[in-house]
Amino acid sequence: MGILTVLWEKWAEFKRDFFKITLAAMISPLMYLLIFGLGIQATSHGEPYLNYLIPGIVAMSTMTGSFGAVAQNMSVQRLYEKALDQVMISPTPLWQFIVGQILGGALRGMYSACIILLLTMPVRTGLIFNGLSFLILFLNGMVFATMALVLSFLAKSYSDAPRYNAYIIVPMSFLCNTFFSVEQMPSGFRQFVGALPLSQTSSMIRGISSGVKQSPVGIVVLLIYQIVFSMLAVLFIYRKKNL
Amino acid sequence: MIELKNLTKKFDDFTAVDHLNLRIETGEFFGLLGSNGAGKTTTISMISTVLLPTEGEVLIDGEKVTRKASAQKRKISIVTQEYSMRQDMTMDEVMEYQGRLYYMSRGEIRRKTEELLDFAGLIEYRRRIVRHLSGGMKRKLMICRALMTDPRIILLDEPTAGMDAFARRQMWELLRKLQRQNITIILTTHYIEEAEALCSRVAFLHRGKLDAVDSPGNLICALGKFAVDEMDGSVQRSRFFADRAGAIAYLEQLDADAGATLRRTTLEDVFVERIGKQNPAGIK
Repeated sequence: MGILTVLWEKWAEFKRDFFKITLAAMISPLMYLLIFGLGIQATSHGEPYLNYLIPGIVAMSTMTGSFGAVAQNMSVQRLYEKALDQVMISPTPLWQFIVGQILGGALRGMYSACIILLLTMPVRTGLIFNGLSFLILFLNGMVFATMALVLSFLAKSYSDAPRYNAYIIVPMSFLCNTFFSVEQMPSGFRQFVGALPLSQTSSMIRGISSGVKQSPVGIVVLLIYQIVFSMLAVLFIYRKKNL
Repeated sequence: MIELKNLTKKFDDFTAVDHLNLRIETGEFFGLLGSNGAGKTTTISMISTVLLPTEGEVLIDGEKVTRKASAQKRKISIVTQEYSMRQDMTMDEVMEYQGRLYYMSRGEIRRKTEELLDFAGLIEYRRRIVRHLSGGMKRKLMICRALMTDPRIILLDEPTAGMDAFARRQMWELLRKLQRQNITIILTTHYIEEAEALCSRVAFLHRGKLDAVDSPGNLICALGKFAVDEMDGSVQRSRFFADRAGAIAYLEQLDADAGATLRRTTLEDVFVERIGKQNPAGIK
């Protein structure tokens, strides 16, 4: 019930800001596709670079869409509007509020990914996106929505949300298998970046899109991230003395 | 019944509320008074679980209030000092969100929203976004939202701040009406006359500690029901007397040109005498 309340709130926000949300979800991925995919006519492993790029951009979109939808919103609600207080006081179990935020954030990430898939549809790449791809993308969205929730509980000021974006999301966007393979990185750094959730998602989505059977390791890694961040979010909302 | 037992809140080295013990009966209209930084809002925030105590506990009807205690939280509504609501929602959406958080049915949400917004004179603005409302309208909306869920306990943190005199009187009437329904009300306010007019008991907080708790009438009696104001240079001084005869006798000793006046003692006098003398800088 509480989960539905949060999803209703997210839906109300989505309807109200539909054009702004849609435009924001389109602009940077579209720029990357135009510049790196069409502008710089390169090939990768004997295939058009666009075939390498699209799965990475789709994975990245779920990350930025989910993270942005929760981090910005929760920081404003908690620190500026104080609207979170009403949720804290209400009888809605707070774990349901957390689950609602995670699902709502993941759905926003999925929306961003679907926009990119629709935009790239006219380019006949032959890439495969199936049910498993969407499941992985949704899981990736959940991980980043939960991460955003944890960080927004830790934020001390309203301006911390854009900083988290600069410190975490921007580096991941560029490093985690989106534009080039982590295999090209020096040892040590390669293992670290490879273990990050976006690297795992991009790698799995890319594999599925080119018809390569995927091992479940990537999904397990995403699940571990999901469990750890969910536990932190629940711990903070129930135990943090000055939320 | 609400009980605060040894309630303490520390922010690093600063103790905002210091071992506060209070018992507020069901249906009581209780005022928490104190100068700025006395710990009123922190106390309200701990009762509502927005803040968790460093030490001590809050009990409602004998059960501890925690963030997990949904049944206890169901009884509480709060009107905070700040406009704590989504600024990008319409009034209708604010009310619906509140109703959903309290598991109300859609029909009930619709009925109560219309009833309350109509009562508060906000019905014609129901589709207006909160950000575009005046301060007074936002405060009225917060009251409507608090009443939406038929609470048994209402926590009011400066509910009339920023309201004009007319709106304040309207609010007082509404609060009296609520008290007649046996709702427990805890009010913090800077307007001492508001507490005197509404509250059956008040507590004075000073630097997080309980200074006094009693009915406004008893606190006034303890100071003296009558006051004589006289000017000492540019400073006004008041003397308090238990009865009118004593005050008149004192007045008659004074020089007729001194401009001294006799009046009834107010709760504000008690507040200034008790708290102001401990912390003159804290009283404006």
